[in-house]
Amino acid sequence: MIRLALPKGRNLEIALAAFRAAGLLQGWDGAGRSLISQLPDDGIEVLSLKDWDLPLYVEHGVADFGIVGSDVLSEVDGDLLVPVRLKAGRSRLSFIGSSHQMPPPGGQVRLATKYPATARRIVAGRPWGAEIVKLSGSIELAPLLSLAELALDIVQTGRTLVENNLVEIETVAEVAACLVVNRASYQRHRARLNEWIGRLEAAEVAV
Amino acid sequence: MRVSAALPIGVAALLFESARRRREAEGRLADLLQSAGYGEVILPILDYVEPYEALLTAASRSELYRFIDRDGEQLALRGDFTPMLARLLAPRLAGLPLPLRLFYRGDVVRYEEERAGRQREFYQMGAELLGPDPSAEREVLRLFLEALTQEGAREVRVVLGFAGALDGLLLGSRTGSGESGPADLAALAAAVARRERDAARRASRGLLAVVESGLPEKPEDLGPEAAGRLAELLRLRDDLAPLFPSAQLNVDLAEFARHSLDPRLAPGGDGRMGDRSYYDGIVFRAFAGAAALPVGGGGRYDSLFRRLGAEVSAVGFSLSLERLIEARGEEQT
Repeated sequence: MIRLALPKGRNLEIALAAFRAAGLLQGWDGAGRSLISQLPDDGIEVLSLKDWDLPLYVEHGVADFGIVGSDVLSEVDGDLLVPVRLKAGRSRLSFIGSSHQMPPPGGQVRLATKYPATARRIVAGRPWGAEIVKLSGSIELAPLLSLAELALDIVQTGRTLVENNLVEIETVAEVAACLVVNRASYQRHRARLNEWIGRLEAAEVAV
Repeated sequence: MRVSAALPIGVAALLFESARRRREAEGRLADLLQSAGYGEVILPILDYVEPYEALLTAASRSELYRFIDRDGEQLALRGDFTPMLARLLAPRLAGLPLPLRLFYRGDVVRYEEERAGRQREFYQMGAELLGPDPSAEREVLRLFLEALTQEGAREVRVVLGFAGALDGLLLGSRTGSGESGPADLAALAAAVARRERDAARRASRGLLAVVESGLPEKPEDLGPEAAGRLAELLRLRDDLAPLFPSAQLNVDLAEFARHSLDPRLAPGGDGRMGDRSYYDGIVFRAFAGAAALPVGGGGRYDSLFRRLGAEVSAVGFSLSLERLIEARGEEQT
């Protein structure tokens, strides 16, 4: 039995579509409330986890592999294998503000984000400085209500921004749902994992 | 007065049964190493920082617990045995009979980010073989496997590679020739170590094969010198594998993609166990049981001595006793 950790929310749909296209998880709809499901056909046990906990479960080997967003992955910085970045459902990590202006060189701003570690790394390479304010949701409100001049957040379609008179000033990174694998599990289940990774990649190319 | 039993993050007290189990494993391993001709050395828990300045990477420096003592000297708690042993032996090497077989045991302390499974203080045992010996790598690797199997580690999987194996492929990739892919070669090497297929595919077909299977399509893809070393390593694997039928020995060059030798590939060196940047020849690490982190690892590190002004062949391994005991599983407790 090999354990797969799947996220909740948006990345779950992306993960399920990708695995189904690759001929896996056929008999599982992911809609139930059970936290652990056995899928004997695939020899897989599925754990349902929050995005932010998922890398820890995989790094600790409780789950052998999983799907998690690259936004979360770059924030937690674990020692995980990342064989595949799924092409479906990609979004952007962007600086957001109420005007098109980035801070001037030498400037100091407040920056609201769910990703303080990532933000700190990005700001370190900029000619301006930022006091980073960690929020856990509704990041767009921060520049809107002047809690912060800038926000660093995920942008999918950009519709929320437009509706709130906010601007996507600069895209910093592309965000993808990633297949992550525990280093020890990879050595243990190498043949099976390689086969699934190959199928996932082939299915994605075919879509 | 009520006293709290709380300890700082990353350290643990072993009480009663867990202490007994650790001491017993330690005793058996010490017996094994002694009977193989290895003599024990006992090293201090405190040392100056200065002798290590040239050996530390940014990452390994940030892991050290450093402080200023009352005389104003900068000291550090022992974070790794191998460099300490090297710096103590390098100036004395000329007067010592070689080859020298040594083993050590004790705690090392490293500042690790707080997360599951990563202790800041952990107990290591290890062995080092110094001096000219054509079969040093075979001897050390065999001893490493004996230690693992003797302690009943289940499902031992030893991953083998060598430093610099992928240097030719990395430098010859599209990133190396400035065409595309990750911004620099160190980033590409890190992507290969994470087995990122897209990054490898963009860089070159040869790297993709290594990421997928751990081995190149054809040994020559690595360049003539590395191809020769791969052949030697595969021979060593084939010789040792029948002696340890319960263990799996795999050559996987992607696992050690960050162990490069060419300065153009200068790695950040992330200083994790078994990923220590001083290895410059064979490198190996072992996983066992359900343990998600390596139970041990080792390799050749001649250049560590060279940087300390001594010319000697050096191969060694270390084991984490906590993880080794964890890898035995419940049936043995």
